[in-house]
Amino acid sequence: MAEVRVERLVKAYGAARALDEVTLDFPDGGFFGLLGPSGSGKTTLLRAIAGFVVPDTGRVFIGGAPVENVPVEHREIGMVFQNYALFPNMTVEENVAFGLVVRKTGAAETAKRVREALELVQLGHLATRKTHQLSGGQRQRVAMARAIVTRPRVLLLDEPLSALDKALRVDMQIELKRIQREVGITTIFVTHDQEEALTLSDRIGILKDGRLVRHGPPREVYDDPRDPFTAQFLGDANLIEGTPEPEGLRLSDGKLLPGLKGPTIAVRPESLRLDTTEPTAPFRLRARLQQRIFGGAMGTCIIDWQGRPLKAVGRDADFRGLPDAGDVWLSWPKESTIEFRANA
Amino acid sequence: MSNRFLAHLGRAYLGLILFFLYAPILVMAAMSLNASEFYQLPFKFSGEWYDRLWNNREILAAAGRSIWIAVVVTVIATTLGTAASIALFRHDFPGKRILQALLFPPIAIPWLITGTAMLIFFFGIGIGRGTPAVIIGHVALALPYVIVVVSARLASFDRVLEEAARSLGASAWQVTRAVTVPWILPGIIAGGLFAFAVSFDQFVVSYFLSEPGDTTLPVLIYTSIRKGFTPEINAISTIIIAVSMGLMLLAARFTKFGGDR
Amino acid sequence: MAGTIAGQDRRKAFMLLSPAYLWLTVAVFLPLSAMAYFSFLSDVPFGGKDWHFTIANYRAFFETGTYATLMWKSLKLGLIVTAVSVVVGFPCAYVLAKVVKGRAREALFLLVILPFWSNSLVRIFSWAIVLRGNGVLDRAVNAVLPWDVKLNLMFSPTAIVIGLVHSYLPYVILTSYLALQAIDDSLIEAARSLGAKRRTILWRLILPLAAPGIIAGAVLIFVPVVGSFMEPRLLGGRLGTYYGTVIEDQFVAVFNWPLGAALSFILLAVVLAILAAASPMLKRAAT
Repeated sequence: MAEVRVERLVKAYGAARALDEVTLDFPDGGFFGLLGPSGSGKTTLLRAIAGFVVPDTGRVFIGGAPVENVPVEHREIGMVFQNYALFPNMTVEENVAFGLVVRKTGAAETAKRVREALELVQLGHLATRKTHQLSGGQRQRVAMARAIVTRPRVLLLDEPLSALDKALRVDMQIELKRIQREVGITTIFVTHDQEEALTLSDRIGILKDGRLVRHGPPREVYDDPRDPFTAQFLGDANLIEGTPEPEGLRLSDGKLLPGLKGPTIAVRPESLRLDTTEPTAPFRLRARLQQRIFGGAMGTCIIDWQGRPLKAVGRDADFRGLPDAGDVWLSWPKESTIEFRANA
Repeated sequence: MSNRFLAHLGRAYLGLILFFLYAPILVMAAMSLNASEFYQLPFKFSGEWYDRLWNNREILAAAGRSIWIAVVVTVIATTLGTAASIALFRHDFPGKRILQALLFPPIAIPWLITGTAMLIFFFGIGIGRGTPAVIIGHVALALPYVIVVVSARLASFDRVLEEAARSLGASAWQVTRAVTVPWILPGIIAGGLFAFAVSFDQFVVSYFLSEPGDTTLPVLIYTSIRKGFTPEINAISTIIIAVSMGLMLLAARFTKFGGDR
Repeated sequence: MAGTIAGQDRRKAFMLLSPAYLWLTVAVFLPLSAMAYFSFLSDVPFGGKDWHFTIANYRAFFETGTYATLMWKSLKLGLIVTAVSVVVGFPCAYVLAKVVKGRAREALFLLVILPFWSNSLVRIFSWAIVLRGNGVLDRAVNAVLPWDVKLNLMFSPTAIVIGLVHSYLPYVILTSYLALQAIDDSLIEAARSLGAKRRTILWRLILPLAAPGIIAGAVLIFVPVVGSFMEPRLLGGRLGTYYGTVIEDQFVAVFNWPLGAALSFILLAVVLAILAAASPMLKRAAT
């Protein structure tokens, strides 16, 4: 086990910067999620830690030691690839044993550790199968077992669940978390699925255009995203703009939100309340309900405020008294207002 | 050894292979422009051998025959091959796999065997040697290539397009003409170019099937070389190489050798 | 079941397929059968000659030893040419598939396989020009090396091997390239992340996965080389007597067609045995 640190990492492909001065610590034994839209540099960062990408400048440390000049095969990492990259000419067992065989581990020790690894991922019964006979979820488990059997210092996961269908993905998330906890290994994983990142990680980092925009524990980042991009990328957010005045934020419809600085604030859809009569909350807007979408237990309302679409999410019961369309009041509690530091 | 060093080493090796593949051809081309009849160096430029070529009736006649045969072979092989490809693509019937497997003997069996077998059979049924025999043989050799190339193109054809056309009321023939053939046209053109090249470059089968004194160009070249080199052969060989490589470059534009990524 | 849609379907398929397959029957399959028949005759059945059925032509192969020796010589030639082509061609295919990237790869690949589609006779002839004594190669080597070398490769087994490798090398490069290209780069990365060194990756991963392609290429080279006659004739001179040249002689010089047919058929049997042995691999290479 080891902590990982990258320092001022830069990688350019032509004029485009895939990594732009990224500095980040990955704590020992933690489960770190790297999140960002495609092309944000998250995969490049993971591959730079693995050693497949050679950074232009900057440093990579694993367990406190610099590894820029250590080739991939000596970095003692475990990696799970997006398409799993199981060796098609080998059985499940042989795939898992590969890393031990190349390390010239003794036969008895190899057999024991392969068995343990396969049991950990609950595939002991499929050891002699060929990889093409496995289902997607089983392949994922084999890839996991293969990556951890060598007891690497850090486990790298490149969109490990993206090839699975929705239901299986949720199962595998729980499974992944369990395995990581049992092994206790420092794990860094890349995903574009924010829900997955929130579920799995104990820390997340959000990248955009090669830059690290925000990192920290998921709840902290969610509650205090600090910038509009993070607010909208992690979860959903209604952005509201206005003109800062001494006593508060003046909106384009003349309303004043007292005590807010602005010029941009955000409100999560689940924090918005809809009423037909004017509420007493200090933060309230007059808007038009355009559409109510029934979604089972939960419902969504699409609202038009000053020509801008806003979204409210809640239990369907909360929306029951509302008309299908028409004028409504929007309100939210003061503590649910997200203010951005960047433009303060 | 660093990766970068190995990559350079690899590229240098690739260059060496290309040198091996092209050097003799370039030497031949150079010698066809060398004044000396016995390939003496130093090199002295001369267009004499090309001039002589234009006056060599025998070579010109053989060249004309080769081209004419290749055109006929191309037309027949492309037509029959395309029809067969479409049938193999569209229809499922018992024995289809056997039919597909039967395409390989003409490619896989050495031409020496195929050629001598054709000679025996054509003599037995009275066709004998000569241009008709050569054409029959060449078409058989070219057919599998056409079918393979056109089928490869068809494999990328979405059958839903045919179904859509059918659902709009087009007959099977209209579907073929308006939807299927336009899609596979690049494959048909590439298949045709392959067929032309197979026939135009074919030596072994032509050698056994053509009438002495009435031969194709490669056969004439072979007999001339065995009698002793003449620089005129250099000149015509250089032209042949240029033509067949040009044709293949053209075919490559219409097909994707080796797929892409 | 004429009239039903299924029946119509069958008829259409039959109409589209029959011309091509009829042609192949007349030009390939019937001739092969005729050759089988001929190989059991004592003389050609044309021109009112006396003939009868005999197995003498096959006995000649097994009893005189001459033909068997030549067959062995041709098989050896096939093995050498195939081995050299694989050893030389596979690294070339590897560089093309895994080192060169982008548009350069497409262009280089085309350059490598282009000669393969040009006239093989002419290419063999070009080697004759290069290799002849006091020829271009001689002069080039002597220009580079300070001492005097007499390099007379022409009319030697080496010349035949060089010419044949030149002719068939693109085959193995093509098939290996296709096999190598199908190997996902992430497999190699996975092996590296597990601690495997280059040599291990080559032996445990790349070679096993590319094996069907290599074997397909090897078969495609071996089969025609065993039956080659033009290359030994042009580059081997008097030394260039091989199994293929003997068959050629039976048809164009000696006019002993039944013996030629028997010898061809023995060659065909050898070729089919090789193809059958390699067919599981060939099938894997095709998919």
